Amino acid sequence: MNQFILPAGFEAQQVVELLENETAVATSAIQAVITESPTSEQVSIYDTFDWRLYNQKFALFSVGSQFTLRDLVEGKTAVQLELDELPQFVWDMPPGLFRAKLAPILSMRALLPMANVSHQKTVHRLLNEDEKTVAWVMYEVFAPVRNGETALLQLLSIQPVRGYVKAETQLVDLCHQQNFEATDDEIIPMLLMACGHEPGSYSAKLNVDLKPDMRADAAVNVILRYLFQVMKMNEQYIKQDVDTEFLHDYRVSVRRTRSALSQVNAVFPEAYTQRFKKDFKFIGKLSNQLRDLDVYLLAEADYKAKLPEFLQEDIHPLFEYLQSKREDALQAVISELDSAEYRRIVQDWELFLEEPPTKDKTAVNATMPILELAQKRIYKRYQRIIKVGNAILKDQQDELLHALRLECKNLRYLMEFFATLFPPDQISILIRQLKQLQDNLGDFNDFCVQEVYLLHVGREMPIRGQASRDALIAIGCLVGALHQRREQVKSEFAGTFTSFAAPQNKALFTDLFAPHKKDNKKKGGKA
Amino acid sequence: MTIIALYSNKGGVGKTATAVNLAYLAAQSGATTLLCDLDPQSSATFYFRIKPKLKKKARGFLEPGKAIENSIKGSDYTNLDLLPADFSHRNLDLRFYDHKKPVNRLRKVLKPLSQEYDYIFLDCPPTINILAENIFNASDYLLVPLIPTTLSLRTHLQLLDFLDDNGYKSKNIFTFLSMVDRRKNLHKELSTEMPNRLKNALPVAIPYQSQVEQMGIRREPVPAFAPQCEAALAYEALWQELSSRLE
Repeated sequence: MNQFILPAGFEAQQVVELLENETAVATSAIQAVITESPTSEQVSIYDTFDWRLYNQKFALFSVGSQFTLRDLVEGKTAVQLELDELPQFVWDMPPGLFRAKLAPILSMRALLPMANVSHQKTVHRLLNEDEKTVAWVMYEVFAPVRNGETALLQLLSIQPVRGYVKAETQLVDLCHQQNFEATDDEIIPMLLMACGHEPGSYSAKLNVDLKPDMRADAAVNVILRYLFQVMKMNEQYIKQDVDTEFLHDYRVSVRRTRSALSQVNAVFPEAYTQRFKKDFKFIGKLSNQLRDLDVYLLAEADYKAKLPEFLQEDIHPLFEYLQSKREDALQAVISELDSAEYRRIVQDWELFLEEPPTKDKTAVNATMPILELAQKRIYKRYQRIIKVGNAILKDQQDELLHALRLECKNLRYLMEFFATLFPPDQISILIRQLKQLQDNLGDFNDFCVQEVYLLHVGREMPIRGQASRDALIAIGCLVGALHQRREQVKSEFAGTFTSFAAPQNKALFTDLFAPHKKDNKKKGGKA
Repeated sequence: MTIIALYSNKGGVGKTATAVNLAYLAAQSGATTLLCDLDPQSSATFYFRIKPKLKKKARGFLEPGKAIENSIKGSDYTNLDLLPADFSHRNLDLRFYDHKKPVNRLRKVLKPLSQEYDYIFLDCPPTINILAENIFNASDYLLVPLIPTTLSLRTHLQLLDFLDDNGYKSKNIFTFLSMVDRRKNLHKELSTEMPNRLKNALPVAIPYQSQVEQMGIRREPVPAFAPQCEAALAYEALWQELSSRLE
């Protein structure tokens, strides 16, 4: 496809005149132009809040009831489907190719309408001396709206007919002579940007660029501001209950904030640190129950798969019960988010983050270069993890496993906060290794918690008739299966930990973070 | 890819009209379709307003390589391409003998196109010599138009015998009634009788209608310019019936 952007102010009639001029010469490959009447339609573009489709190089749009998933790499339609209305979630879509293609990309996230653009298209058929169509020229006008203002995007595209190269070449040359701007860009991302979106821009992953010699308090402020932005972006959607991941991203930001306040200590005046640590503990807690219920409900298919087939349907009342509990939990979270106390915390936090930088040393570590502080804190966490891990190898106590999980989480957050201060390939090796250990410890913790919780729910569920009795049997069976998995995961700990604590990782940790090495081999070290 | 040959050893029975209209309907249903015009009279090519010209004449047509692919032309319709006829096709019979295994040459020539097309329709000239054998070997299905007369029925039975004697599967040979004139009593009688007398007769009759003749003036498939006329509906029914029987 040969595609050109027309200059602003170009008009439909000029396109027709331009093409008709081509027919004047007897030797031209084009001897007549048929202009069909223009058609108008609305193009709606969809993606998830975190741009999962765009990030995987896909675009989903609809024209009327026709929904098209376009492959942006191949530049062609991946799959199409007629739908009266687009379901927000993949599990509500009709089974088939469309759903199968979207499911692994979207997972549990809701599709949101990102943009609505009106579109007018005029097709010109170009004929040769036998009145045979030798090319199509499409003139399209899109009207994206940004902040209430419309800036037309006009495209001219040449669609060749196989075996009629002369006509195609003639038309492409014509466009170049007119100085039309040739473009290979995909139209959907163009439209999103024209509507004021930045496709792919949102990520809950920390993405801050720190300089090694920044003051520690300024660097931590940058991190905390980023986390606060993520919290704010997700908050309104939690209240609208769009999908479960808004709460998830929000909570991760809250946890990271708590971790930054407690792990990177003495960078702010102590009174502030203490106060906000308490406040964020409160904020974290208020959605604990809702998130737990989300996790159970999202795991429905996994749980069913753990049961023998003849019990799989029986467990359904459990999820109905959890669903009803979730309604209550959601309302509770919404009223907490609207409460005066919550609003006051958020306001004060924002004021604290916005405070202009000071030259004074307001706390012991405030003026320390961030690289030095980061190394200290990370190395200390690492040493602690090795110590606790070794103790577990000798004596596998559940309490120690839980403690180690929390230590790992804090180390992970620290490494992610300060990742840009270290060579990217080396830090990512260590994060990957740490993640494997975290997965093991996380699974162990999840199975422990779920076991206890499901037994608790089983006892509290109202018994009404045979269905709930059958459900209890199924829950018992599920608890058994989870218990088995838990023991299995526990038995895998030793191997996972040993490979995390392996000499080559230790050398890398020491190299990057240990105090005596800080003058050499580091990117931007303070030489 | 499925190759369907419109074949008859009689001329003027409606092969080309059927090939053009069925190829159009197949393409409209979303299948990538190629119509291959093997007739030196090049009527199918004419119907699509395409010049009857192959890059390297009949000789090039039988050579493997780019010559065929470069000769293919897009029609005015989505999904539908045409491999034009060339006047040199009148000597196509002789050209087969330039090659080893001459009776399988057409099959070999079409094979590289199987990636690109869901259906290939062959519009064949009336023939019973080596070109016919090539057509039988290359195609998955033969579709034979029958005018409801005693003579064409007799010819068709001869063809079936020939194919049977030479080991071609009779289940892949379909017939249908073509150019049926309701005003003629004989047509009426045979139209009801013939489907019973022939195995694999598709229960569709294409009427003798002026719209079919207008194809030569309009230079378009009937369903493209008169989608609601009796002939267009009959072609549609024929395509439905045939495609439901393809494996």
